[in-house]
Amino acid sequence: MPNSGKTYLGVPVSRPRAAFFDFSSCEGCQLQILNNEATLLDFLSLVQVVNFREAMTEESDEYDIAFVEGSITRPDEVERLKAIRSRAKVLVALGSCACFGGVNQLKNRFRDLLWVNKTVYGDAAVETDFVRRLADVVAVDLMIYGCPVRKEEVEKVVTNVVIGKEISYPKYPVCMECKAGENICLFDLGEACLGPVTRAGCGAWCPGNRAGCWGCRGPADDANIEQMKRLMRERGIPEETILDRLECFGGFREVSETFRLEMTKGKP
Amino acid sequence: MNEGLIEFKPVDNKGLGRNAPSAFERTYKAEITSIHQLTPMENLYRMQLIDTAERKGFSFEPGQFVMLELPGIGEAPFSITSSPLRHGDIELCIRKAGNLTNFLSRVGRGTRVGIRGPLGAGFPMEKMHGQDILLIAGGLGLAPLRACISYAQDNRSRFNNVDIIYGAKEPSQFLFTYQYDWWRADDIGLHITVEKPDASWKGPVGMTTNILEQILSSRGSSFHENTYAIVCGPPVMFKFVCSMLTQKNLPMQKMFVSLERRMHCGMGKCCRCNVGSTYTCLKGPVFDYWTVMNLKEAI
Amino acid sequence: MLFRVIAREELKRLFGFLVSAHTVVGPVKAGRDRTGLPLYAFEEVERFEDLSLDYAMTKIPAKRFFLPYREDMAVFEMRKDDWEKKVDYNMGRPRIFFGMHPCDINALNRLDKVLMGETYPMPYYIAKRRNTVIIGIDCTPRPCCFCRSMGADTALHGFDMFLTDIGERYFAEILSDTAFTFLKKISATEPSGEDHVLYKKAAAARNERFVTHVDTTDLMKILDMEFQSDVWKQWGDKCLSCGACSNVCPTCYCYGVEETVDLKLTTARKTKMLYSCNVIDFAEVAGGHNFRPERHIRLKYRYYHKHRGFVEAYEESLCVGCGRCGESCLSGITVPEVIASIRGAL
Repeated sequence: MPNSGKTYLGVPVSRPRAAFFDFSSCEGCQLQILNNEATLLDFLSLVQVVNFREAMTEESDEYDIAFVEGSITRPDEVERLKAIRSRAKVLVALGSCACFGGVNQLKNRFRDLLWVNKTVYGDAAVETDFVRRLADVVAVDLMIYGCPVRKEEVEKVVTNVVIGKEISYPKYPVCMECKAGENICLFDLGEACLGPVTRAGCGAWCPGNRAGCWGCRGPADDANIEQMKRLMRERGIPEETILDRLECFGGFREVSETFRLEMTKGKP
Repeated sequence: MNEGLIEFKPVDNKGLGRNAPSAFERTYKAEITSIHQLTPMENLYRMQLIDTAERKGFSFEPGQFVMLELPGIGEAPFSITSSPLRHGDIELCIRKAGNLTNFLSRVGRGTRVGIRGPLGAGFPMEKMHGQDILLIAGGLGLAPLRACISYAQDNRSRFNNVDIIYGAKEPSQFLFTYQYDWWRADDIGLHITVEKPDASWKGPVGMTTNILEQILSSRGSSFHENTYAIVCGPPVMFKFVCSMLTQKNLPMQKMFVSLERRMHCGMGKCCRCNVGSTYTCLKGPVFDYWTVMNLKEAI
Repeated sequence: MLFRVIAREELKRLFGFLVSAHTVVGPVKAGRDRTGLPLYAFEEVERFEDLSLDYAMTKIPAKRFFLPYREDMAVFEMRKDDWEKKVDYNMGRPRIFFGMHPCDINALNRLDKVLMGETYPMPYYIAKRRNTVIIGIDCTPRPCCFCRSMGADTALHGFDMFLTDIGERYFAEILSDTAFTFLKKISATEPSGEDHVLYKKAAAARNERFVTHVDTTDLMKILDMEFQSDVWKQWGDKCLSCGACSNVCPTCYCYGVEETVDLKLTTARKTKMLYSCNVIDFAEVAGGHNFRPERHIRLKYRYYHKHRGFVEAYEESLCVGCGRCGESCLSGITVPEVIASIRGAL
């Protein structure tokens, strides 16, 4: 990676050429990065942006670090992603769609894609495949979780990349940050929340605004999903609601698939 | 404003323990003066407290540790591996294992780092004067033991037999190989063994307990009356070694081990190093085996 | 000990006087739960009317004013070949706590033992503790309170003044010169014989209300005996490892430290964050070895520290029996039930 000319503790700091790409997504994660003008200039001093469709017209195929938003839903996306992978030294999955498939992967529940296509698009059918996360197609070096990503976390990851510090994520669930934010527990308000099993790092963004967690950052390490289901049932939260949340972003894919099978067992 | 109502009370020593509160985050600035690669995984860093008075005043016991801080990167505990005679000109033997140590492997000579310490309880070397000492190390466990070895060299006449039993997985993993002859020259017995020999290896193969068994059988049946043992290595190793020594009647209080735990403060506050409910950073990291046996979850 | 009696209106005047010069923190209604009951929190208060002095219990304890959930321990100024570490204890301005229950006062007293004593007193805590004036107030025990079993139902020290509601007036216990000086600003009278009777009646009525008891007889030994018990596994299966219990505990003080570098690469920060021993990586070391990889082991450790280790060191439990952990635990893990199960009584 190109040298920035700066050092940190005597170690050379790199200034990678950064490129932003989007696949099937709302492009909201990229918007988050542009969102905070207060730190944007400092952010741009760390990297040299060479591709960013939302922000600039210039394009380049020479880059070191690729931030990729979105999930993979079409054959041409597979090819494009592979090309990006071959050029990038570091490939970062940006946001829930890239990390887990995101909201898009909800359609994977329907086994018959032709039916999906017809129901959604009617006569104007589009080319579409089962949704895959980036890691199902290419090797992913880093993940930045969230729907959308948190700007502060993106900045922290980039800072660590340029100085060569290890990237780590909280292993604990959202409850830790929610309690530290002194929020009223949503279960006290009679609402559902996946905070106890979802990886923290968001600063309990949703619960802090009195909206239950939907698990966009995927499971925390050692998440006790069985107990989570049990305690939601005890509180009279319908199984369909629990499953809706677990399925929403694809981070809980394995458990939600089993759960759906259990629920639909014996039903047509 | 009615500021006179409540007097602002400073954070001073009044009514507190023997240390001033300012000792808590007291950091000495040190400069890395040399980096020596011991194995592909481990480096030996020599670092010197920059302030001369601080350097002279920095005194420690073998087995004590410091918190090493790289600003913005992190902080972690490391046993001091150099001789106590060298005061604040210390050496740390560090394996690349995590965030801090990986970054450390990239810095060069002249880098300034933060040092807090010395912390914890060390090996009670003076208690062992006049006796035989068995120093038993596995893998990276040699790092804290090296401070004891230096102490024994510096005070050689105060001890009878001094023997090091040191085991590694493979011959390439031995640390401080360049010092072995020097140790032997000071009449220190050195017995090394590997688990997985390579083609060039001509020494013994097996565990440290095999060698220990041989040494103990060559000593009289009353060896326990004039012997102390210091054991450093992975928990499974010191468990085997200490139970063998116990079987041979060495009292548990004459065996010392050093425990490794996660630490964030090193000063008995963050709780991360608790074993059962004992602070490894305050009461340890060096414990006698009797204490370790009574700490739940230590082994 | 000095006693005074203060009429309700006079207490309001006292509040007004204090708030005109200082930051006052007290219990307020923060919302309502799904059954319509109020939820309380400690917050900065400006008006006496906003205070809920008859509050049941705050969800989050007073701890955060002494041990903030996140706090910078030091800031580094990074230069080309050097750096400078600047330590700030974040003292802020002195604060007056208006209406703290005995369990929370006792929680601070127990924290004092670790954080103001021991080998290394902790300046970040001391700065805030020394510069907080505490006006305590009696409580109406709730069904989940077991402070009496933990010897924390009455506060003997650790406050400046303690108020007990005896009808239209408050019976005040004055412990510090600071509080005595406050009272000069209002009308506070010597208690009469009748006030003494009222106080004793109020105390007796409160005593009647303790319904949850925890048997702590020989608890240290029993915890050691049952260290390998399968009972822990049953609780471990229920535990979410979410850390809620530690976060709402008035005496959990453990923490983690993280260092970060700012975007300009010119400033670095050492930040302390309250942690929980129930969280997966609490005892994980570099290289990945985890000394407590399983939920039940971590949960057990929490009980071990509170009810065994601390007792061994300081002859009282680190638990004050406020019941917050049990109320916040979505899985319904409560201290009285866990201890009863370990004793074989469940």
